[in-house]
Amino acid sequence: MATVQFKKIVKKFGDNLVLNGVDVDIKDHEFVVIVGPSGCGKTTLLRMLAGLEEVTDGEIFIDNLLVNELHPSKREIAMVFQDYALYPHMTVEENMNFALRLRKMPKAEIRARVTEAANILQLNKFLKRMPKQLSGGQRQRVAIGRAIVRKPKVFLFDEPLSNLDAKLREEMRVEIAKLYPRLNATILYVTHDQVEAMTLAGRIVIMNHGIVQQVGSPIEVYRKPCNLFVAGFIGSPTMNFLTGKLSVADGVSVFSNESVTLPIPAFVLPQKEALEGREVVLGVRPDDVLVEHPGGEKLSCKMDGVLEVCELLGHRENLYLKVGGQRLLATVEAFFNRSPGSAVSLCFNYQNMHVFDKATGQRISE
Amino acid sequence: METLKSIVEVTWFIILVAVGVAALVGYLYSHFKFYARSWFFPAVLAVFPALALAVFGGLLGGYTFQLWLYFLLAEAAIAAFFRFLVKGRHTVPYLMLAPAFVGLALLLVYPFVFEVYLSFHDLKLTTIMMWKNTGTLPFVGITQYIKVFTTSPLSEVTFWALLLRTLVWTFTNVFFHVVGGFILALMLNNHIKFKGIYRTLLVIPWAMPQVVAVLAMRGEFHAQYGFVNIFLVKLVHHLPFLASLGVGPVQWVSDYPLITCTLINIWLGIPFMMVVILGGLQSISSSYYDAADIDGASYFQKLRYITLPLVRPVMMPAVTLGTVWTFNNINVIYLVTGQSGGTEQADILVSALYKAAFTYNRYSYSAAFAIIVFAMLFFFSVFYLKSFDAAKDER
Ligand SMILES: Nc1ncnc2c1ncn2[C@@H]1O[C@H](COP(=O)(O)OP(=O)(O)OP(=O)(O)O)[C@@H](O)[C@H]1O
Ligand SMILES: [Mg+2]
Repeated sequence: MATVQFKKIVKKFGDNLVLNGVDVDIKDHEFVVIVGPSGCGKTTLLRMLAGLEEVTDGEIFIDNLLVNELHPSKREIAMVFQDYALYPHMTVEENMNFALRLRKMPKAEIRARVTEAANILQLNKFLKRMPKQLSGGQRQRVAIGRAIVRKPKVFLFDEPLSNLDAKLREEMRVEIAKLYPRLNATILYVTHDQVEAMTLAGRIVIMNHGIVQQVGSPIEVYRKPCNLFVAGFIGSPTMNFLTGKLSVADGVSVFSNESVTLPIPAFVLPQKEALEGREVVLGVRPDDVLVEHPGGEKLSCKMDGVLEVCELLGHRENLYLKVGGQRLLATVEAFFNRSPGSAVSLCFNYQNMHVFDKATGQRISE
Repeated sequence: METLKSIVEVTWFIILVAVGVAALVGYLYSHFKFYARSWFFPAVLAVFPALALAVFGGLLGGYTFQLWLYFLLAEAAIAAFFRFLVKGRHTVPYLMLAPAFVGLALLLVYPFVFEVYLSFHDLKLTTIMMWKNTGTLPFVGITQYIKVFTTSPLSEVTFWALLLRTLVWTFTNVFFHVVGGFILALMLNNHIKFKGIYRTLLVIPWAMPQVVAVLAMRGEFHAQYGFVNIFLVKLVHHLPFLASLGVGPVQWVSDYPLITCTLINIWLGIPFMMVVILGGLQSISSSYYDAADIDGASYFQKLRYITLPLVRPVMMPAVTLGTVWTFNNINVIYLVTGQSGGTEQADILVSALYKAAFTYNRYSYSAAFAIIVFAMLFFFSVFYLKSFDAAKDER
């Protein structure tokens, strides 16, 4: 029910510049995930939207209303904290209806809302318990329940799943995905787990060092990362990077370093970017390193490599390869029946090849 | 010169003790491997204190041999107990505690047993020579206990009046300790400059020896030269309408002794509560306040629904302690009003008890009196801490 706009947000803690001009427009009912490495200012951004942290410079709008100076409770937001922050001396029910009691809402209405939220989150059995008598996942649901009962315009989640074990995290991720259409609200969700980001997000905001690196749908940031940071951050296992120089002969650009020499077709790198002697970084996801592949269209020429280590993940297998001095990671179908040390041939899939300028880190390929 | 000499002597003594401790520790370290032997700790713990006592006893003279022997026997018994009866991994901790237990036994258990003995007999000025000569006292059963409730420990005030006064005194003091301590702690818990300095200044009354603090404060309540009266005079001078409300200098110590004592004791007791509550406040995670902010709680709502319930666990034991201390606080009352020509208007149970014993020399009566005071405090503490435990189990 609400749009959120960050306009040139700057945040300093003393001399420490934490956010440096964050500009994000969030549409009504959008599920926006903010990802970035630890310490990049995600929590700070969220807390500023919630009104728990002062804005050094810039403007925040909720529903086109400037909220910089508005008290947290007046912003019609609800926040789920990283450590849940459930009041330890109140029962689950009291935790959930605390905000409503403070607003002096009629008893019947309070009960109705709590029951509704408890039904959604399957918390009915636990309403009379104290937070410390709950498991981590249950506490997490209570924290969400506390947010739901207030029917806020914007939900803020600060790494809500980071304290849970891998299996529970997966379950809760699905729960949150199911919850989203029922909440009827805009959601800002902070995480540094890129799986959560990819699966939950309508749009992803990728941050680093207090700067927004890229905003886009999960598939956009995966297919067309706009710089080296995004390329390395999104996708697991991490993208392979090859650093080298371009040379142009007869209109064909060729990438080369000590170990790899590779023509780059024009549909990957437009002519105008292909400058002689330009230092570039090639990015190839492990899935696009094809090992012992018969070859075909839009594939690079074959290279000879050595298999160093195999990691079996189940239905996939990670191969650590070496082409000359260049290390590469390839992900292939299991089982790749070769022993470490054996020679293999490999090629790259041009369709998903990314080229970045080495100096600026910006994407220069299509 | 004399002072210098005594300072040097004290310094020497401290250095001597420090060297002794260092030597002991060094010995333990150099024989590290002995730690593993089962006899090592019993031996060390039994022998060293006894040796130390023997040396000091020898230095000080007196009938120390007997004492030394008793001490050694006690140590040996304890060592044997821990060596043979206490099994498993708790042996060493118990052993380390053993010397402290011996000290406690000497300092607490023996006097208590003797007090119980006294309370069932009749030791007073007229029987003390008999006790000295024969070592026996007339057995009087519970007569002394009956006397506690029926006769007065002082010349004017009855036991029941004293009890009521003590309760009022305790309640007022603890109430203002908690309220004052809480307010100061809340103020110190903010981000303010020079916090450390304020904290130090505020703790001084508590850190000072109580006798010094009380005597200094008594001076401030002096009718003519005390700060309080001078302040009141100046205040009335500048705001004359106050005089019509009855504000003016008064004879604090002689006309309002109990109020004076209460004011002084409140001043003395606030720092302790402040320190305890401040500790409690600082242990509350700030994310609860963030959550409450988002939930829309005002400052006082946060205080009531978050701060108070969350400092309760640290406050309850502190209140129990404070109650017992205030109930038993003889220092302030005795130092302010206990001098010759002093009044009985400010006496509470324990100060009356002190006077009964050492002014009126009614030893057995006082022993019974003390046991009754003890019983009251004991049941109060047990009840209070039990109810606290129950409250804790609820959550
Ligand atoms: N109250 C504060 N005072 C000073 N510096 C702070 C404060 N809070 C955060 N910072 C700094 O701001 C930066 C961003 O912190 P923030 O908590 O927003 O990171 P984050 O992206 O949420 O990281 P994480 O993924 O680890 O939670 C960090 O470098 C941190 O040291
Ligand atoms: Mg964070």
